[in-house]
Amino acid sequence: MSEYILEVKNLRKLFPVRRNLQQIIKKERRFVHAVDNVSFSVKRGEIFGLIGESGCGKTTTGKVVMHLQESTEGQLLLDGKDVTRLDKEALGIYRRNVQMIFQDPYASMNPRFTIRKVLLEPLEIHNIGSTQEEREAMIVKALESVKLTPAEEFLDRFPHMLSGGQRQRVATARTLILNPEIVVADEPVSMVDLSTRAELLQMMKDVQQQMGLTYIYITHDLSTARYFTDRIAVMYLGRIVELASADDLIDNARHPYTKALIAAVCEPVSGKVNVIKEVPIEGEIPSAANIPPGCRFHPRCIYAQPDCATEPEPELVGDENGHFVACRHWKELKRKKA
Amino acid sequence: MKTSIAKKTSTGTNGKRFKGQLAALWNEFKRFKYGMVGLALFMIFVLIVIFEPLIIPFKETGTRWRDITYWQDNPVNAAPAWTNWFSAKDKTPQETLKATNIVKQEEPSADMTFIDAEIHYNYKYDDPPTDMAFRATVMGDVSFMLSLVRPDGIEIPLFDTYTSSSTPNDFRVSFNSDALDNIFEFATQHEDPTASFIYNKSTLNAMNVLFSKAQYGILDNPEPLKGEYVFKITAATIGSGDVSNLRIEVAGKVFGILGTDNAKRDLWSGIICGTKWALLIGLSTSLISVFIGVLYGVVSAYFGGVVDMIMMRIFEIVNSMPLLPIIIVMSAIFKPNLWTMIILMCLFFWTGSVRTVRSMGLQIKEETYIEAARALNASNGRIIFKHMLPQLIPYSFASMALSVPGAILYESTISLLGLGDATIVTWGQILQGASSGGAVLHGLWWWVVPPGVCMALMGMTFAFIGFAMDTILNPKLRTR
Amino acid sequence: MEKSLEVRNLKLHYFTSRGAVKALDDISFDLYKGETLGVVGESGCGKTTLGTALLNMPTPPGKIVGGNIIMNGQDLLTLSESQYRRDVRWEKISMVFQGAMNCLTPVYTIYNQMMETIQYHRDMEKSEADARIRKYINLVGLSDDVLRRYPHELSGGMKQRIVIATGLFLEPNVVICDEPTTALDVVVQAQIINLLKELKKELSLSFIFITHDLATEAEVADRIMVMYAGKVAEIGSNEEIFGAAGPMHPYTKKLLVATPRLHERVDKLAFIPGVPPDLLDPPTGCRFYPRCSEVMPKCSQEEPPITEVSPGHKVACWRCA
Repeated sequence: MSEYILEVKNLRKLFPVRRNLQQIIKKERRFVHAVDNVSFSVKRGEIFGLIGESGCGKTTTGKVVMHLQESTEGQLLLDGKDVTRLDKEALGIYRRNVQMIFQDPYASMNPRFTIRKVLLEPLEIHNIGSTQEEREAMIVKALESVKLTPAEEFLDRFPHMLSGGQRQRVATARTLILNPEIVVADEPVSMVDLSTRAELLQMMKDVQQQMGLTYIYITHDLSTARYFTDRIAVMYLGRIVELASADDLIDNARHPYTKALIAAVCEPVSGKVNVIKEVPIEGEIPSAANIPPGCRFHPRCIYAQPDCATEPEPELVGDENGHFVACRHWKELKRKKA
Repeated sequence: MKTSIAKKTSTGTNGKRFKGQLAALWNEFKRFKYGMVGLALFMIFVLIVIFEPLIIPFKETGTRWRDITYWQDNPVNAAPAWTNWFSAKDKTPQETLKATNIVKQEEPSADMTFIDAEIHYNYKYDDPPTDMAFRATVMGDVSFMLSLVRPDGIEIPLFDTYTSSSTPNDFRVSFNSDALDNIFEFATQHEDPTASFIYNKSTLNAMNVLFSKAQYGILDNPEPLKGEYVFKITAATIGSGDVSNLRIEVAGKVFGILGTDNAKRDLWSGIICGTKWALLIGLSTSLISVFIGVLYGVVSAYFGGVVDMIMMRIFEIVNSMPLLPIIIVMSAIFKPNLWTMIILMCLFFWTGSVRTVRSMGLQIKEETYIEAARALNASNGRIIFKHMLPQLIPYSFASMALSVPGAILYESTISLLGLGDATIVTWGQILQGASSGGAVLHGLWWWVVPPGVCMALMGMTFAFIGFAMDTILNPKLRTR
Repeated sequence: MEKSLEVRNLKLHYFTSRGAVKALDDISFDLYKGETLGVVGESGCGKTTLGTALLNMPTPPGKIVGGNIIMNGQDLLTLSESQYRRDVRWEKISMVFQGAMNCLTPVYTIYNQMMETIQYHRDMEKSEADARIRKYINLVGLSDDVLRRYPHELSGGMKQRIVIATGLFLEPNVVICDEPTTALDVVVQAQIINLLKELKKELSLSFIFITHDLATEAEVADRIMVMYAGKVAEIGSNEEIFGAAGPMHPYTKKLLVATPRLHERVDKLAFIPGVPPDLLDPPTGCRFYPRCSEVMPKCSQEEPPITEVSPGHKVACWRCA
């Protein structure tokens, strides 16, 4: 058993852009670089966070890990074994080990299925449980592990009869029923009420302890990420720009983008009402089909130097604490001349 | 402990859910007046089909539509009986006159039996019958002599015939065929000599003459003679011959609920019999073709890419093929049979719902729960049949309802062209008869209007039901 | 301070087939000129309903059944629908709806849409309307050339700015924003919040900022009104709610503790067990008592009155009565 349960190496996912006639004739090809050379490793039993704004490629990375999208380039290793390309049979086994919780708790379940049917589905697909009673018992156990009790009360209901938080619990139960090793959670609490968020995250943590799970937690919300994750990778425009433990990343952010994100986050403290917050970032996020040359963040970076545009893209370089950053100048950041 | 859970099966809940869904759908449906009208009409049609044997006077219409002997006692091109209410002239209705005063006289020396009988007819109408037929059940050698005593005292000999059969046989003599000579002579006796030379036997309206006043103008402008008419019958049997059930069938000027056509067929029976075929053709074509179409659309939408492209091109080719000429050619080559027609129609009708279903399928495909199902490793078949198709069932019903009128109309068009199934009666075929029998030219509205109205009504029925359902289940609003 | 709006005892019910859902039950608050009032609460507390009620546009089957909305001494609820449409909506009170940026028509340019809105409300010379549009587009930080674009060509942040501009260009006194930043990225969110602060100062407007996110509220609102289950739980200034002393209502306290902070390492996040009550048939007594950890016997029997614990700081709780 390797230390790392999941390894992503040089992952690339490109989507072809529709070409107009002129471009087809000229044989120009353009791609959206949704995921552009991403590498990270997830330790067994850890909660690994992928942070970024919309369009940064975090969701796409999650989908590639789930094999809902196929990688264009790169390697995926599950427990040391190569799982980049899987045939039908291997895919079935893979999907028992890697499961996903989706963002929208209502949309991720067929509104015409009862909760029982929703939870039976994975068992039926993977042929788990030989009798109806056995399956029923497994479903009840799954609901109990997500604290939806008494289970019988929920089994015959439909998704729209449950609250958002309850639905997300069912979605979690659906992944747990297969006893996976890794759960990819794509914004699991962003569409749920504030007071329920904490409850859900607490439940997910408890489940993790009980079942020895590993999470990949995808979100744009830095605050919950700090609370929930062990390590965080910050993504920008398809690349990881910083990777560190959660506390270290937020207390000692190194990359200008991370700093901008941290500065932008709102906090429930007084005294900020009449302050125009300084967000150390410029401009708008460019299209992923037109990645800027050099360091892809440089057009928006307030500390950009001339070589940031001309030199090749900086690699993720780390120190002995496991704090990686993709920036050449992070140690001595100087504001640009106006 | 928790044994109760194990008992509850998912089908139980699904059954309850389905009932709940139906109840909700019914509540919505009730709000649409025209939908309820359509439903009521549909129930009427179903009741007609169920009670068909009870409501038609001619029980074997279905099988004997083209058998002229079945219809021989009916008048030709007779208007419906109830039109008598509205016309100034009282028209003779259809009647069977039974024999009375039957006297049998045996003559053993000549080995003959003589039977005298009378048939009384109280004629009180302005418009005489179209024909009269003398009928009896005979066996052996029998001869008949028939004469008429009119209210004005004139006795007219009608005919003198002879028949022989070894088994009990139904004997029939039509006045219009066999009594013409005698009637013509009677007519010329009483007509203005200067006028009578215009007329001859072939243009003689025998019934008019028989029941009109014996005066000048009896041939071209007769005046009805009302009163008690007595038909005198003398029958003579030889040996072991026997005669019974003597009667005269009066083929009235008006007949039945919807009149008759030029082959003397009762149109009411024909139309009622045609109802079940209309329903059958309409429903089976629409059910099969919508099912194929929906499956096609969903599969095309789900797989997308090259599969979708190819399937859509095939769809477009079939969709642009003109159904009617192909059916005509097929019917001309092969023997036209109801089932082959239905199959042919299904082969082309399936394209009707494909586009909408495909766009609905494309929408459903993008839903997160489909992606979640794939993440659970659901197979393509599972996703299509368990996740996508159930959402399309409501739309399918609406689509089915709306394609029924089309199917019925196609069948009637084929029948109109004379290419329909010759073993059954359909509304289209009745219309075809009307067209070739010059119904419109002769003003025989009762032949043309009812089948047309029925087709329109059935089309309306399904259109109303379909529109109401479509409004409720409009796919643009309801992919969830 | 001058008041822009006074709301007294506002009541709104949704008349559904199952009965009347008491979505707004006796809401009272003041809005002062030049301030942002934050309305915060969970889903179902009535904050969005409040927004539509102030515009007298409750989503059917909702109906305002009582209360007053007083502006410049006049109770707006006494006006007829046409008067409201003519004089109040967009003229005096405007609203930036939740997800409004997705409601821009895709087939018209931004300029067309804004022009249509202006001309619907006022008889303005085209040149004057044109100037007004440009002024406010620039005011929200966009250049003129977005006017020629179609909505799908613009980013979320830009669309939100356009919608805000549309809410402003008839120069109302009060602008209601319903979750204006929820669907946006955190950087854009910060920029929009900065924009709103600048606009507030420059145009001396009053904002009502509706959101479920306490953290955003803290950075935006001068005063905060916390709603729970159709009622007001607490109203206080930014300092009173978020300052060191902390809020007084148990619900607000819990909400605050449940909000994760970026710069604090938290081991266990608190949460509020249970769910909000059914507003068809609310429980007697305080609506929060089933989930409250400071509950007293009185709480389940009688509804707490609104107590002013200090000038301007109102709490609806028996512990503060």
